[in-house]
This record gives sequence, structure tokens and C-alpha cells, in this order.
Amino acid sequence: MSNPIKLAIGPILFYWSKDEVQNFYLQASDSPADIVYVGESVCSRRCQLRTSDWIGLAKDLAAAGKDVVLSALALAESEGDLIALRKLVAACAESGGRIRLEANDLGAVKVAAEAGVPFVCGPHLNVYNEATLAWFAAKGAVAWVPPLEAPRSLIAPLHASRPVGMATEVFAWGKIPLAFSARCFTARHYGLKKDDCQFRCLDHADGLTLATREGQSFLTMNGIQTMSAQHYSLLAELPALLDLGIDALRLSPQSKDFFAVLAAFDAARRGEPAGLPAACTDHGTCDGYWHGQAGIAKVGAEDDTLVVAASGA
Amino acid sequence: MVSSTPTTTTSAFRIPHLVCPAGSLPALKSAVDNGADAVYLGFKNATNARNFAGLNFDDKSLREGVRYARDRGREVLVAINTYPQAGRLAEWHGAVDAAADLGATAVILADVGLLAYAAERHPALHRHLSVQGSATSYEAINFAQDAFGVRRAVLPRVLTLAQVENVVRHTTVEIEVFGFGSLCVMNEGRCWLSSYATGESPNTVGACSPAKYVRWEQQGKTMNARLNGILIDSYGEGEPAGYPTLCKGRFEVAGETGYALEEPTSLNVVELLPQIAAAGVAAIKVEGRQRSPAYVGQVTRVLRQAIDALKAPGFAVKPAWQSELAKVAEGHQVTLGAYDRPWR
Amino acid sequence: MNPIAMTTRFTLPGLPGINLQVPTFRLPAFVTRIGQSLPQWPHALGLVGGLNGLLLLKLLDAEALEPLTGRVFAVEVEDTAAVARFTFDGLRFVPLLAADGPAPDLTFRATLSAYLQLLARQEDPDTLFFQRRLVIEGDTELGLLVKNLLDAVEWPRLPFIAERT
Repeated sequence: MSNPIKLAIGPILFYWSKDEVQNFYLQASDSPADIVYVGESVCSRRCQLRTSDWIGLAKDLAAAGKDVVLSALALAESEGDLIALRKLVAACAESGGRIRLEANDLGAVKVAAEAGVPFVCGPHLNVYNEATLAWFAAKGAVAWVPPLEAPRSLIAPLHASRPVGMATEVFAWGKIPLAFSARCFTARHYGLKKDDCQFRCLDHADGLTLATREGQSFLTMNGIQTMSAQHYSLLAELPALLDLGIDALRLSPQSKDFFAVLAAFDAARRGEPAGLPAACTDHGTCDGYWHGQAGIAKVGAEDDTLVVAASGA
Repeated sequence: MVSSTPTTTTSAFRIPHLVCPAGSLPALKSAVDNGADAVYLGFKNATNARNFAGLNFDDKSLREGVRYARDRGREVLVAINTYPQAGRLAEWHGAVDAAADLGATAVILADVGLLAYAAERHPALHRHLSVQGSATSYEAINFAQDAFGVRRAVLPRVLTLAQVENVVRHTTVEIEVFGFGSLCVMNEGRCWLSSYATGESPNTVGACSPAKYVRWEQQGKTMNARLNGILIDSYGEGEPAGYPTLCKGRFEVAGETGYALEEPTSLNVVELLPQIAAAGVAAIKVEGRQRSPAYVGQVTRVLRQAIDALKAPGFAVKPAWQSELAKVAEGHQVTLGAYDRPWR
Repeated sequence: MNPIAMTTRFTLPGLPGINLQVPTFRLPAFVTRIGQSLPQWPHALGLVGGLNGLLLLKLLDAEALEPLTGRVFAVEVEDTAAVARFTFDGLRFVPLLAADGPAPDLTFRATLSAYLQLLARQEDPDTLFFQRRLVIEGDTELGLLVKNLLDAVEWPRLPFIAERT
């Protein structure tokens, strides 16, 4: 309660082995993070952890004193996806409010609302205005994550006029989840069909980088998800975020140095000097979205490794 | 591939409506004259997802378009399918009010706040859930029906035919699917690639890879296509070119250069029409409000013939249909997209 | 294919019910050579006259053309080597007669056949562009605006032409 802003560990967006996932959450339970998201939100074929395993993890983390949120799949396609969703909501209902749901589509909102389970509007629910935020609040939303492309000029007024009891959580660190597809780009890269992908995502703990033909790192392929190659970083904007009274910052898991990044944000929120470990990004950082520019742009302080797109001549 | 398929008659079978695009009054008339059951269009502003310079309708041309379509027994659907931006709700509310006043049959909406507004203010104006609303499951669609009285939902281009069938089975909302046009490989309404490169996206300003960021550079015999300075593709002499929509560029991944995300292709479901009709799909949509009246006329004429052929037993794809459609296809190739399992 | 022998009836563009088909052709090289040695200003005068005619008939909306003000356009016909350069002064289109004037903001380049197919609304500009039969260079947004303005022109229906379906 003494911290002016909470730190949230977002759901793991990559495909890691069960051991890696368990180790990660073991560290998470001991970390300064206040909120921890668990669950598979990207691809329903990923099966190192089953829905029941994720629910088990959620209970353990809740018992360790964390605020826990179960993340639902963003792109629900099959009957199986809906069955998994209903299991997550049932687990939230059983927890008596200890565990919440992160809804990333209207189907998840429906199932949560019908069960009376409080939910977080994930970044893919597309909350761009006050009427939509109020509407989700009426259905049981208790927190929202603005769309990743939202600038400060959109987040600030929505946060200022948010419904009573609604917390604002801003994505502040990590490769940006930019798009979802029916197609699996990782499988396609290996000449495999999605239905027979041989789980190649397991070989790419932080995704596969896509560069332009001039060698500019641009995007990351993560199965059916396309992400930025650069890491979004709002570390330098922490004073502004504190000033706005934002409730929480979401840090998105990665295989290397994640808890050092978390420590840097933790220090920064207490006003102590904070620095990012040198190897925590592979293609530099960006913050254009926050400043109302192209997402790939780097506007704020620090970092010199980024190749910023030259503007058109 | 499939040249002849018997027309099955199950309880779900229906002849789908043909919904065609219009970016201008001549395109609207071309769609109506060539047999569209409905025409969809947008206003000249950021309230629709094809907000391009010189394209779309003002009140005057919309009024005339509605009259032209209605006189011939057709419908006009107004797409207001971007996301209202904080503090600017009035612009989107104004668009919904104008659509109602000018006599549109339906508005096609994506934002839940706007759906709630339309349901409350204009209950007689039909509401369609836009593809930009990203409703991929019947739970999401039924929710929109309960909450906003949505009559029809446009499915994102990510589902297989079996998944489309499953959705239809579990809802009383009419289901509309894409039948022809440039293929969005990403789940519509949830793609920020454009704003990552340029700062502007379909959700916010209604345009993907906006033209003002596009530069074509001729370098000797090579033509480079850049988006805000980022090299999206380059074409050798005589190589077919594409607009630099960034998911359709050629990139390098682990030392291999190629179409890492999607080749410039068009979706074409003509050969699947019997299965689509058998699944109970209510409407088939043609993509391309940014295309010319010539394109609209060509595609509408062919799809009208193909859909009408469903009414008689023994549907067979005519080679002339496919060659006509292939000619106007982006990248000159066609695909069944996600409807077809092998594509996945 | 002998392009000179073609008997296709060319008529007002986009007229409904007229069954005209413009074939794809390329004029022979000697036409190009002759064209290169001819003065270019008649092309500009002709094109500009036509555009201003559209303005007079209110088929083009002068207000919608405002973003074109002061921009320089070039329309090149590859196989006749004709080049028309012109600008818009806010009220009407004006030919640019000096060959060494300012660099165009927007250049269209295609064969005569492709232009005729476009005007007849037989072919879609995007289709021609994808096939590299229409080259657009310069300011892409301006190009899109011009394309969309021309697409939105409602060619008049002439009462004496019976519509066929």
C-alpha cells in the first residue's frame, strides 16, 4: 500500500516449457510484483500447461499474497477454446474474488459477467473512449489496460474520468503484442502447417525477429501473434505516470533479465536510481505510442541501440 | 479445384445476400446495377475503416445513394466501424444519427459504447456487428445480441468453414462472411501493425498503412516501396507490385527473405459457395470500398451469377467467373484463406 | 495484333449500357519515335480543357479539388511519347507549357490502351497498378486523392442512348 503505483507481471506471451514457466512464477511469487497474470492468451495449441495447471498456479500465487488474474485467450475460435474459458471463469468464481479474469474478447466478458466474476479489460478489448469504459464497468470490469497504441493524450483523460472502482493499468515494458492471425507465422516459417506445427515456438523463447531487407529489425513473430522487435519502455516516463495517478504498470515477461527489469521499475517507483540491465533488449527500446507517434519511434530519454525509422523524404 | 458439388438441402441452407462495397456514388450504382442485394459504405471522415482522401460519401451523395438503392429494392448499410476516440464521441454519434436520418437500413459498428448509443437512440435502425469488432465466437455474438439487439455479425477472416458452421448453429444472429477481396491476414480490429510503423491505424483513423506515409522510389530497374521510411518491399523490373500494406511486404527472418507474413492475395470463396449456403450463412461480403466502380461492377456481376446458380441443383464453378475475379485480384492470386484447412 | 486496324467505338466514358470493350494494345515503336519529336503542349491543352469541362459541368467538385491547388501533375502516354503537364490554380486546371518547369508532384505513366480502359471504367486503376501497367510516381496520397476524385465523377446518362442490360 505504500507504493504509489503497482507493478503487474503480464501473462507470458511466448511458449515456454513447463519447467521454465514454473521457475518463472516461483521467482514471481518472491518478487516485488503486486499483480501477476497467468494463463495462455495467445495460442490454444500450446499445451505444456493445461488449463487446470494454470488454475493451480493461480491459486499458489494467490496463497503467496499476490493479486492474481487468469488471462483468457484473445482469439477464441473453437468449442474447445470456449470450454477452457468457462473453466477459467469457474475457478475465478470459486476463489471468492481472490482471482480475477483478464477478458480479451466479448465472449470472455459475457461468460465472466454471467458468473458475476470481476474482470480486467485486457488490451485487446479495444477501450478507446469513456462510454465504452463505463459500459464494461457496468458489466463487472474492475481494471482496464488501454490499447497498446493509445497515446498519453488518450489514456490521461480516460483515466481521469474513469468509473468509480476502476483501476488503470498501463503496458510499460516488453515487446508489444501488435496483431493476431488465423495463420501461424512461426509454423509457416518452417514450412509447417498450423495444425502440425511441431511446437516450434518452444525453440524461440522470445520469438523470431523479422527484419526489413535493409536489415532494420522491425517485428517479432510469436506463433499466431505479431509483436514489435523493439521493447516498449516507459521507464523514463515513470514520473509522468506517477503524476497522472496511474494505478499499475504491466511488465511483459521475457526469458532474459526479466526480474532485473522488474527491479529497475521497483526502484524507480520508489524514487531510487534505476537502470536497465544492458542485455535486457535485443533490438533496443521504443516509446513512440506514448508520445502519439509511430510505435517504433524512440522519443524519450536513454538507450542508444535503437534504429529509428527515418521519416519519408 | 472442386468443379461440381451437389447442392445439399439441410434445414440451415439459405441463399446468401450479396453485400458489395462502394467508395463513391458511381460505385454504389455499379453495385446495384450488377445485382448487389445491399451496398455498404462510409462517411468522409474517421468514423469508418476506409478513410481515404477523396473516397466515401457526404450527406448529399448518401441521400442520393439511398434513394437509388431503395428505388430498386436494395439496402444501404453504413459502416461506422472505427473506435470513437476519447473526448470525441460526438463525431461518431453524429455519424450514427446521420445514417438513421438519411434512411440507411443498418449501421455496421464495432465499438460497444457506440452500439449502446445506436440501440438506445435509433432502435429501428438495424445494427450489424462489424468485422472490426473481432467477434470470433458465438458467445461474443450472442452477447452483442443480448446487449445491443445486433441482427447480424460479420465474422473476422480467421475461422475455418467448420468453425463458421458451428457459430451459425449456436446463434440466431445472421452471420455474414467475406467472400471476395484483398485478404486481411490479421484478426480485424486487433491489428496495430500500421500504427507501429506510422502512428495511424484502422482502429483510430480508419486507415491501414495510410498513403501519406507511402513512398515509391525507382532505383534503376528496382522499385522500392516504403512506409514511413521502413522498406516494405522492392520489386524487380516487370514484377507485379502491391500497395505497401505492411503485412504483405517481404522481410528477412533467420536469413530467409520472403513474404514472412502474407503474400498479396485475394480471398475468393466461389468454389465454397454450396458449403457456405448449406451452413446457413446469411450474407457474403465483397471487400474493396477503396476500389473503383469498374472493380465493383466486375466482382458484383460475377458473384451475382454464382450465387444465383445456387438456386438450381448441380452448382458448378464456371471458369469464366474465376478468370474474371482473378484479373482484379490483388497480387493476381486467389486463396480460400482460413476457410480452407490446408491454408492453416 | 494490328492496333491501327482496330475498329472499337470509343465514346463517352463510363456510359451505362454501352457494350464497348477497349482491347489491350501497345502502339508500334515508330509512333513513339514520331511522338517524341512533336511538341508536347497540345496534349496538355487537350487534357486541361477536358478537366475544366468537367468542372464547368459540375461533374468535378471544385471544393473537393482544393488539396490539388498548386500541385504539379504529369500524365505520360508511353507509346505515343506524349507528356501533359498541368497544375490546378484553385479555380481551374492550367497547362504548364515549359518543358523545364518544376518537377511534378505526381506522375502517371501508362500506354494509350490502359488510359482508354481506365476512362471507359473497363479496368480498375488498382488492377492496372498491380499489373505494373499503370505507374504512379511521387506523392502517393495525392495520387489516391486524384484516383478517388475521378472514380466519384458521375458521367451523365444521355437520354438518346438506349440502355441495354
